[in-house]
Amino acid sequence: MHSAAWRISLWATLAFACGTMVVFVFLQSFVVSDIQRRSDAWLSGEVEVLGDVAQRTPKDALYGRVVGEVAELAAREVPNKPTSGESSSDTVFFLQSGSDGSLKLWVGMGSGQAYLQAIHATNILPDRPTDLRVPGFAIPFRVASIRIGDGSHIFLGLSERDELRVLRYLQLRFFLLWLLIVMLGFGIVFLTSRRTLSHVRRITVAASRIGQSDLTARVPTTRRNDEVSQLALTLNGMLDRIESSVHQLHTITDSLAHDLRSPLTAIRGKLEMLLSSTADEEHIEPIVSAIEELDRLTDFLNKSLDVAEAKADALRLTRTAIDLDESLRIMLDLYEPSMTDKGIKVSWHGSGRVAIFADAALLHRMFANLLDNELKHLPPACTLTIALRSEEDAALLILEDDGPGFESEVLQHLFERRVKGRDSNGHGLGLAFIDAVARAHGGTVAVSNRESGGARIVVTLPLASSQDQDPQPTAAAAAGSH
Amino acid sequence: MRLLLVEDEIDIQSFLRRSLDEAGYQVDVAADGKTAELLAVDIPFDILIVDLGLPDQDGISLILRLRQMGVKAPVLILSARRSVDDRVRGLEQGGDDYLTKPFALAELLARLRNLLKRNTPAAAETTRLRVLDLELDLLRREAMRGGQTLQLTQQEFVLLEYLCRNAGRVVTRSMILDKVWGMRIQPDTNVVDVHIYRLRGKVDAAGQQPLIRTMRGVGYVLKDR
Repeated sequence: MHSAAWRISLWATLAFACGTMVVFVFLQSFVVSDIQRRSDAWLSGEVEVLGDVAQRTPKDALYGRVVGEVAELAAREVPNKPTSGESSSDTVFFLQSGSDGSLKLWVGMGSGQAYLQAIHATNILPDRPTDLRVPGFAIPFRVASIRIGDGSHIFLGLSERDELRVLRYLQLRFFLLWLLIVMLGFGIVFLTSRRTLSHVRRITVAASRIGQSDLTARVPTTRRNDEVSQLALTLNGMLDRIESSVHQLHTITDSLAHDLRSPLTAIRGKLEMLLSSTADEEHIEPIVSAIEELDRLTDFLNKSLDVAEAKADALRLTRTAIDLDESLRIMLDLYEPSMTDKGIKVSWHGSGRVAIFADAALLHRMFANLLDNELKHLPPACTLTIALRSEEDAALLILEDDGPGFESEVLQHLFERRVKGRDSNGHGLGLAFIDAVARAHGGTVAVSNRESGGARIVVTLPLASSQDQDPQPTAAAAAGSH
Repeated sequence: MRLLLVEDEIDIQSFLRRSLDEAGYQVDVAADGKTAELLAVDIPFDILIVDLGLPDQDGISLILRLRQMGVKAPVLILSARRSVDDRVRGLEQGGDDYLTKPFALAELLARLRNLLKRNTPAAAETTRLRVLDLELDLLRREAMRGGQTLQLTQQEFVLLEYLCRNAGRVVTRSMILDKVWGMRIQPDTNVVDVHIYRLRGKVDAAGQQPLIRTMRGVGYVLKDR
C-alpha cells in the first residue's frame, strides 16, 4: 500500500537530486573560476613588482640576493595558503632567464633547469598566467611572466596544490550538503505523500465498505480544500445520487409488492374460507389448484422483485454468520427422499465448516432453487454430485450431474429472466434468481455442460472475513428449533 | 380471547374477522390508527393484529404509541412490504411476531397461539407427548404407537414431534419447513410431502387408524380424536 508513496518519493527525490546537483556544479565552477582569477591576479601583480625590482636593482653581485629576498617575501603572501604554517618554499618559484634563454636567477626548490626546460617547452605568453607542467611534479604550476628592459624574462610560478586542496575540501562540503538536502527532501516528500495517500486509502476502504453493506455511510472528508478532499466530496456527492436512485427503486418495488400482495392476501383468504366450508370433493379440486397457483404467483412476484433489485445492485441483505456446510447438509436432508424416490443418487462431498457472512433466507432460497432444478430436470438413474470447498477467500459450491445437460441455445442466455428449457414448467426465473443472490453477496455463478455429459453449476461466495464480526452470531440454519 | 384487528383493506378485514371468529376469538376491528387507539384505551385486549400500511399512520408508530399507553398485549404484525425494517426487528425481539402477506390462515392462527402462549407462564417442560395411541419420549427420542416402537430417523422424529405438539391443528408446508428444517423457503417441488408420506408409512401402518391427514390446499394435521 506504500508503493505509491515510495514511487512518488523516489521520483521526486531523483528530480530534486538532479536539480540541486546542477546548482552545486554551477556553484563549484563559479568558485573555481573565482579562485583562479584571484591567484592569477596575485601572480600578475607579483610578477610586475618583481620585474620592477629586477629592473631597478643594479646588476651587481647583490642582485641575486636582493631579487631572491623580494621573491621569498612575495611567496609568503601566497593566496589559498593552508593555515598550518607549512613551508611554502615548494609552492612558489622565481626564475629569471636571460635573453638567450639561459638560467640567470633561480629561487625555489632544487635546480631551476627542469623548470626552465618546461618553460621553453610551453608557450608562455606575457601578462597572461598559464599552466605549466614540470616533470616530476604531479600538480601543475601557474606561471606568470614579464619581460624586463634588458631582454630577459622573469617567471613567477605558483603551485596549484593549495588551490586544488581548497577546491577538494569545498567539493566534499558540497557533496555532504547535497546528500543531506536530498535525504531531507526525500523524507519530507515521503511523509507528505504518505499522509496524503493514507487519506486516499481511508477513502478507498470506506468506499469499498459502502458498496458491500449500506449506502447511508459516507467516505471521510477533511476540512482542507485540496484534491483529496475534493475527491472525497465528489465521491460523497455520487453516493448521494446512488442512494437516492436505489431508494427510488426500493420505493417502486415496495409499492408494487404492496399493491399486488394485498389483493393476493384477500383472494387467498377467501379461497381458504371457501375450502373450509366445502365438503364436496368435486369443488375442492379447483379451489386447491387456485391456492397453489396463487402461491406460485406470490413466489414469482418475490423472485422477480429480488432479481430486479439484484440487477441494479440494490438487493437488501440481512447478513448473519452462516456455516455453508451445515446449511447444505440440512437442505440435502430435506431433498434426499424426493431424489431417492425419483431414482436420483445424491453424493455429497463436504470439507468441514465453511463460514460466510450472508443473508440466510436468500441463501436458503437459492439452494432450494438449485436442488429444485435438479429434481425437476434430472431423469431417473442419474447421479448428482454436490461438493463444497473453501478456497483462499471464497467458498465453492459445485453441482455436477450426468443428465442431459443444458440445451446449447439456452446456455447462452441462462441468467436472463424468462429463459427456460422447452420442457421446463417453471417460470424461468430460477437461474436468474440464483445469479442475483450470488451477485448480491459478491459471488458468481458459472454454468456449463460437462465434457462427459451433464450439467455443471459452480457457485462462488466470498468467505467471511475478520471484518464481518457478527455481534450475535445467530445459528441461521438451526434445524429443529421450536 | 379478545383480539383487536387493525387493518384497512376491507376484503382482508372481512375474511380475517370471519376466520378468527371461527377460531374462537372475540374480534374487534379498527380500520385506522385513531380508532385502534380509542378501542385499546377502553378494552383490555389479549392480542393484537396490526397491519403496517394504515391510512392515517405507520403501523409501527401505532404499536409504539399503544405500548406507551400501557397496552401490554402481544402484537402480530402484518406487512405487504418487501423489506423488514429495523423497528420491526426491534419489536420482534420485544416478543412480537411478524407475518408477510399473503399468508395461510393456519400459519396466522399458529402464530397467534404462540404469541399467547409466550405471555402465559410456561408450563413445566414435558418429556413425553401423547396423542391417542401415539407416544413420544422426548428424552430418549423414541416414538411408540400402540406399544410398538417406531423406527424413525432423527429428522422423522423431529417432524413427528412438531405434528404432535400441534395435534388437531393444521400445519402448512412452510410452517413445517420453518420449524423442522429452520428454513423459510418455498420449494416448487413436493419435498415436504415426500417426508410426510415416509413418516406416514411408519406411523400409520396397515390396519391402524390413519393419524396423519392431508388437508388439501392447506397442509397436514395429526388427528387427536
